[in-house]
Amino acid sequence: MEIVVCVKPVPDPETRLRVSADGTTLDIEAVKFVLAGYDESAVEQALLLKEATPGSKVHVISAGPPPRTEEVLRASLALGCDLATWVETPPAVAPDPVSAARALARAVSAVPHDLVLCGKQAGDDEAGLVPGALAELLGVPDFSAVIDLRWDAAASRLKFQRSTEAGLEKWEAPVPCVVALQQAWNDPRTAKLPAILKSRKLPITKLPPAPATPASGASRASRFELPPPRTGAKMIEYKTPEEAAQKLVKVLKEEAKVFP
Amino acid sequence: MTGPTLVVGELHDGHLSDATKEAVGVARGASGADEVVGFLAGNSIREAAAGFGRCGVDRVFVAEDPRLDAPVTAVVAHLVGLAAESVGAGLVVVGGSTFGRDLVARLSVRWTAAAATGATGLARTGTTVQVRRPVFGGRATETRELEGSHAAVAIRPHAFAAPPEGSHEVALTPVPLDGIPPALWAPKRVVVEVAARGAGPTLTDASIVVSGGRGVRAAENFHLVEELAVAFGAAVGASRAVTDAGWRPASFQVGQTGKAVSPQLYVAVGISGAIQHLVGMVSSRVIVAINSDASAPIFKVADYGIVGDLFQIVPALTSEVRRARGM
Repeated sequence: MEIVVCVKPVPDPETRLRVSADGTTLDIEAVKFVLAGYDESAVEQALLLKEATPGSKVHVISAGPPPRTEEVLRASLALGCDLATWVETPPAVAPDPVSAARALARAVSAVPHDLVLCGKQAGDDEAGLVPGALAELLGVPDFSAVIDLRWDAAASRLKFQRSTEAGLEKWEAPVPCVVALQQAWNDPRTAKLPAILKSRKLPITKLPPAPATPASGASRASRFELPPPRTGAKMIEYKTPEEAAQKLVKVLKEEAKVFP
Repeated sequence: MTGPTLVVGELHDGHLSDATKEAVGVARGASGADEVVGFLAGNSIREAAAGFGRCGVDRVFVAEDPRLDAPVTAVVAHLVGLAAESVGAGLVVVGGSTFGRDLVARLSVRWTAAAATGATGLARTGTTVQVRRPVFGGRATETRELEGSHAAVAIRPHAFAAPPEGSHEVALTPVPLDGIPPALWAPKRVVVEVAARGAGPTLTDASIVVSGGRGVRAAENFHLVEELAVAFGAAVGASRAVTDAGWRPASFQVGQTGKAVSPQLYVAVGISGAIQHLVGMVSSRVIVAINSDASAPIFKVADYGIVGDLFQIVPALTSEVRRARGM
């Protein structure tokens, strides 16, 4: 099976966010970029499917600015992806989700693909738009919030579950399709040192960014705000568990007004 | 951006979902004197479509087909684009659900709509729709400009109030399905089954979430968390420590590699508050933490805290909540 996995570099969730003085951009100068959390799961799932299905290949693709996009592609190669393609976009700012999907669609169309795997959303803009937009551009179905993704080679079908508002749904679908992954079978693996060293020398196919088109569905962030620092919890003082419970229910009803 | 606003509905147990009603409220607020028009696709949905009327919507497009029993977003996006064009709508608003997000993603391409998901604020000024939305797991809020002639927005669950319901006549306009490109239906997808949902609401849908963490110590103690959730009418969540240990399935996990939730009330039981958990719940409106360790990071983001033994506090709280709710 030809598996394509789309990834995005995002600021390490442990880094402290800072907003520029005029509030229009996030200060990313001192930020370490890493594979987005759900994308890490998507890479893991792609590798697990490859291992379970002899003759499969995993092609990792990303659309984003230097140098961080190249870094996450190399990290994915170190984890075991076979091929990498980078659609290089202008420096500094990540493309908006729909522009990213357009760039990814061009790259995906150019390579063999049965299953296109994405993380369900990236931990920076939290949009979750790329999988659906990519599927629309490729003209294939997409399935979101997917867990427990398997390939039934005999039936030539994907079998998976979707964790939606309706509950847990069991699905089967043929390829090609786009899957937005919620969770892999297990925790993402970590790369071993020799693989990391080797990945530095592996080739990455580079594609130029798509020319900007009018009415492309693009959007832009104009302002960022950080929430006021949380002042810490108001602690409930009590002598017995029953008193703690009564006091808490009282503040939830009368002060926070979230209950009953 | 001018003209009417189209709200695309979603069904939940055969009725319009709460998320759809919230979307009607948002559309109404952003539309001024302009009309809000409903849209619903599915199989035998005329009764459900009348639910739009109770939210004050006069006109609803109805696309009925047995093949739409499970929403096929490519088809729905195609039909929504056509309906929006026919009434001259520039803005489509959808409830904050898996379906809503998938649909907006499709509309960004099919209807060349500037798109945003997870909106907690929406304003229409001149030719632009401005959306406020949490980013970085709720650690920052961005304002996003949706420029151009079309915009599609999925709102964040529970961020907006549904309009008060009344009785109201609604006109249903059938949408013809004969012009749909066959490629949008194919290849056919197969839903095998929907697992019976438990009695409570689902995690991402619930207005109250009660989550348990490592402090619960063992699978056989997790019923304490579940009983508190039942008392609250809440969904049950868990930290990664719990799902990793296999005390509960991975679908319960709240956090970076699990689900992101933003309920009105989040109760964290025996959860220390690692950053990977916090990014999944920090945008909840009110957070309560119960933990034996007074220095646990969860107390930094919580609004109310109880330091103590959860094995004593939680049963007492369950009884008190039951009493308060007359159970």
